[in-house]
Amino acid sequence: MTMTVPTVLRLKDISRTFGHVSAVRSISLEIKRGEVIGLVGENGAGKSTLLKILSGVEQPDAGTMEINGKLESFRSPNDAVRAGVGVVHQEQSLFTNLTVAENLDTRNAGRIGWKNWKRVNSECVAALKKIGVDLDPTSRVSDLSFVNRQMVEIARAVSIDPNMTGTPLIILDEPTAVLEQTETAVLEREIKKLKDIASVIFVSHRLDEIMRICDRVVVMRSGKIVSDRKTSEVTKEQLFRDMAGGVSQTAHAVRKRLPEGAKPAIEVHELGRKGKFKNITFTARPGEIIALVGSNASGREAVVRTIFGAETYDSGTIGVKSRRVVHWSIRKAVQAGLAYLPAERKVESMIAGLSATRNIALVYQGEADSGPFLKLSSLAKTAQSWFDRLDVRPNTISRPLINFSGGNQQKIVLAKWLNSPYTDVLLLDHPLRGLDVGAAQTVNAEIVKACEAGAAVILIPDTIEEALEMADEIIVMRDGEISARHDMRTKNSLNVQDIVAEMV
Amino acid sequence: MTEVIKKSGENESTAGISAAEAVAVKFGKSIPWSAFAPPLVFIAMLLSVGLLNSNYLGPLGISIATATAAPIMFLALGQAMVLNIGSIDLSNAAIALLGALMLALAIPPLGLGAFVLILILVTLVGAINGAVISYAQVPSFALTLGTLAILQTAALVVSGADTIYVSENRELVSTLFEKQIFNAPLTFWIGIVAAFTLWAVLRYTILGQNMTVMGKNELGATLSAVPTRRVRIITYALSGFMGGLAGLSIVAQAGSASASGLGSDLLLPGIAAALIGGTSISGGQTNPLNVVFGGLTVGFVPIAIQAMGLGAQAQSLVYGIFIIVVVALTTVRSRDAVIK
Amino acid sequence: MKLPTDWKSLASLLAAIVVLAIIFAYLNPRFGSLENFRNILFQMAVPLIIIVGTTFVIQLGSIDLSVQGIMGGAGMAWILMSANTRLETDYGVWAWVVAIGIGIALGCLAGALHAIIKVPSFVVTLGTWYIGLGIGIILYGDDVLPSLKSDALMAWPTKLTLGLPHAFWLAAIVFAVGSFISRNTHFGRSILAIGNSETIAGNMGIPVNTIKIIAFTIAGALSALAGILATMQIGAGSPDLGSGQLFTVIPAAVIGGTALSGGEGGLMRSAVGVLLLIILNNGLVLSGVDPAWQSGVFGAILIAAIVAVARPDRGILKIAK
Repeated sequence: MTMTVPTVLRLKDISRTFGHVSAVRSISLEIKRGEVIGLVGENGAGKSTLLKILSGVEQPDAGTMEINGKLESFRSPNDAVRAGVGVVHQEQSLFTNLTVAENLDTRNAGRIGWKNWKRVNSECVAALKKIGVDLDPTSRVSDLSFVNRQMVEIARAVSIDPNMTGTPLIILDEPTAVLEQTETAVLEREIKKLKDIASVIFVSHRLDEIMRICDRVVVMRSGKIVSDRKTSEVTKEQLFRDMAGGVSQTAHAVRKRLPEGAKPAIEVHELGRKGKFKNITFTARPGEIIALVGSNASGREAVVRTIFGAETYDSGTIGVKSRRVVHWSIRKAVQAGLAYLPAERKVESMIAGLSATRNIALVYQGEADSGPFLKLSSLAKTAQSWFDRLDVRPNTISRPLINFSGGNQQKIVLAKWLNSPYTDVLLLDHPLRGLDVGAAQTVNAEIVKACEAGAAVILIPDTIEEALEMADEIIVMRDGEISARHDMRTKNSLNVQDIVAEMV
Repeated sequence: MTEVIKKSGENESTAGISAAEAVAVKFGKSIPWSAFAPPLVFIAMLLSVGLLNSNYLGPLGISIATATAAPIMFLALGQAMVLNIGSIDLSNAAIALLGALMLALAIPPLGLGAFVLILILVTLVGAINGAVISYAQVPSFALTLGTLAILQTAALVVSGADTIYVSENRELVSTLFEKQIFNAPLTFWIGIVAAFTLWAVLRYTILGQNMTVMGKNELGATLSAVPTRRVRIITYALSGFMGGLAGLSIVAQAGSASASGLGSDLLLPGIAAALIGGTSISGGQTNPLNVVFGGLTVGFVPIAIQAMGLGAQAQSLVYGIFIIVVVALTTVRSRDAVIK
Repeated sequence: MKLPTDWKSLASLLAAIVVLAIIFAYLNPRFGSLENFRNILFQMAVPLIIIVGTTFVIQLGSIDLSVQGIMGGAGMAWILMSANTRLETDYGVWAWVVAIGIGIALGCLAGALHAIIKVPSFVVTLGTWYIGLGIGIILYGDDVLPSLKSDALMAWPTKLTLGLPHAFWLAAIVFAVGSFISRNTHFGRSILAIGNSETIAGNMGIPVNTIKIIAFTIAGALSALAGILATMQIGAGSPDLGSGQLFTVIPAAVIGGTALSGGEGGLMRSAVGVLLLIILNNGLVLSGVDPAWQSGVFGAILIAAIVAVARPDRGILKIAK
């Protein structure tokens, strides 16, 4: 080829650090007009930070970004939109109560005067036509199917400025994660059509899709781009290896074993909820750590929340300590000894404005003999002992929880559950998320300790390495179903690559 | 290797946090002086009245202000408890009025038994409010607006739109008003006792802790096995009970009750007193002791206005400005939080 | 714009009204008379004007409590500046300007404090309620009740044009303009967008604060207009002539399907909600039901409506405050 294709995106040495952790490190990437790039990587590889930088949510600490040949530094999502970067999020950002046409009418967002419906609608039709979709511009977004809503988002991203001379860059963040098979096929077809008018970054955990749709596939690991190859010249196996890194085996942590044959703490049998997960069967015994691995859309969080009574199920059974549960609720679960550490710590498990002492006293307030009263002095003593045991810093138990660092917050939330003498089943959703090394080690040590003392643990790990390091059994989930199980006590040659292959 | 894993865990985490940050920041930092704002506002008002015309601070002034403040204080305390869990009770003043009417009817035949009976009844009405909100999962604003309307009808039906005089056993209830300690009627002192009790409930009991937790983060409370339904029902029951006490103080003061007489317009003063008393409308923050000062401020405004030579007509205007200024100064806000 | 889901609930509301009308007409034939029809329209006028502004504010996800206070303040200012029994002065059109100016000022103040200083709308409008009421009370003073002197002004609301009372025509015009603004301006649609998601709206470049301030200002102005109309209807001024209006318009909006959480509902549905409540009120009176029962029936209907609306999306982790 002699004709030079213009470059739409050029990243040079982009870095971003949070605290003393680098999320992305000197990323350099070029995307030409009409290219569809697949972006893959395990959870925590730095994909989402990179996407946030591209969409103006985060600002890089170092490096430069050129879009359509112009040097850009976005200060807000709005800047990114104006420069022609459109992001289609997994959680959609449409006004569901408005019409399709209104959602595409970004150009008039700043106005308050007369709205020319005719023009708005006809522009909408044009924008939809551009990506080859036929939707009624006057239909309400909440009445559309999920895939059609995504088409609206794509159309919005493409239509950002009809007079823009450059090429729009469309970022699709796991667009297929929640789609049914047929819908996925539709989306794939549409993405291929986009090639004529835009460049696309396609993030997905499904490698088959990536191989079908994309021209190039970029693999990220530990905040860096580790490979960038043409899809025609790469195999899935190679990609697995890139994602997992060179390591084939992580040392399994040594732990004191409980005698075999203990009664199961949790028995889940053919558990299912329509559209989320189905046929989930597994058992967790005292002293065992069961790790559920899978992508964000695998349904593993929903399974754990269902066991905790926070979500409902419509088929199958849950057994807790040899008893089948009926009318399951969070209260009953906690009374039965279950504890749940949610991934969304700030909204779901912290009472941010409350002191650490009171957060610890939330589930168990000490011996029942004090009746309805709180013994503030004994609560303080308890809190102090947890602070010392978990090395919480600063060592001020009366400080509001919000004023601690993420790692220390997580220690306090964990203390809240471990403080109850009844807790003997730990449901841990990303327990190490956002923790620095020290805090992560402390939390892990407590998990192991609880386990050795007879607790059953169901763990949703951040990374596969974490699962390999901790778990007795690894259950791999894909699209709401169990795709593989590995008993780590009998296996000695499992590696990250194998599991990645079962996940995607 | 482990180090890398842990580090890479961090960047994903920020993804989850940023959305939640707004909420966190909203409840996080607190302006320290806001804790003292309600007494300061009240004292400032007292001082300015004293400087302008110290006669108004005499026994009569105190007696009038505390008598006015008593029913408002009860309602404000109940409202503050409800606001603290993140809800609102628009029906509490109607409960008070209905309670007053029923007391006026029941005291002659039942004597002291009437107190018990009526307080149980109004507490039940409050509990029903809480139960419907909890189980039907409807917004408290709309639900209690509905109960307010129903209770108004109940009040009219019970009273036959007449003024009901406590014909017998009147001394039982009038003592509560006529007996004065430091120039303040007994009903006022009952209010002070109630405030201390509620303060202790919030500070020293599991229930109280659960209430505040619910107001600060109801989702987090639910996932920490706080019995949110039960707490909500108890809180509304408490609001009903306080409404009953407000009704009692109305009957004590007037010796009678009527659907349109004394105490028929206490909903807004009650809310205003709770807010001026430093209670947050978005939940998770109240101090019943400060609410007392809120009630006193609201009760004292008429006197302050007279002392300033403004005439009684300026009262509403001053209330309005007070509410906005005090809340604007004491609201904890952040740039990202969505305030409705 | 046709939104099928909207029309379905609107249709069921209208059906409820028809059923009610049939029952009331059966109970008292006078209900169906032309005279009573005019009477209903006459009674509807004030809440219909108010609800246009209220709906805008509720669609934002906020609330405006100041209605009755502003009505009192503006109504009193208007009557004292028009020909009345207390003061000799008649400022003619300036009475209107000042009265509506009070509404605009208080609405704008509430909007600005809410949007910029981020004081919850509940609190700000509670404050402006008191301020409006205070203005009314101060103007009222301790003098005698001012009554309108001009027979023309007093008769105006009941006078008929094309067979319908002027009070209704005024409300109908306000409603029509409001509907037009709601449907055909970026302002009207941006209100719905903000109510749906303030965060997305901000990210898309919608001027959130400006729109909020305008919405509260419109609500204030319309409350003032309603105050003037109510004063004309009564023929005399009173600071609490708005009494009870807030508790008509908010239930009407909620029954009409305007969720208090924002983003939903519309003027047409709010208006039908008002119609339902007014017909209920009127019919109960004509059926000889003790007026004491009316508010109880209101309350029961309101509760039934919100429980029905909340039913489909109940869940373990749903937070209803």
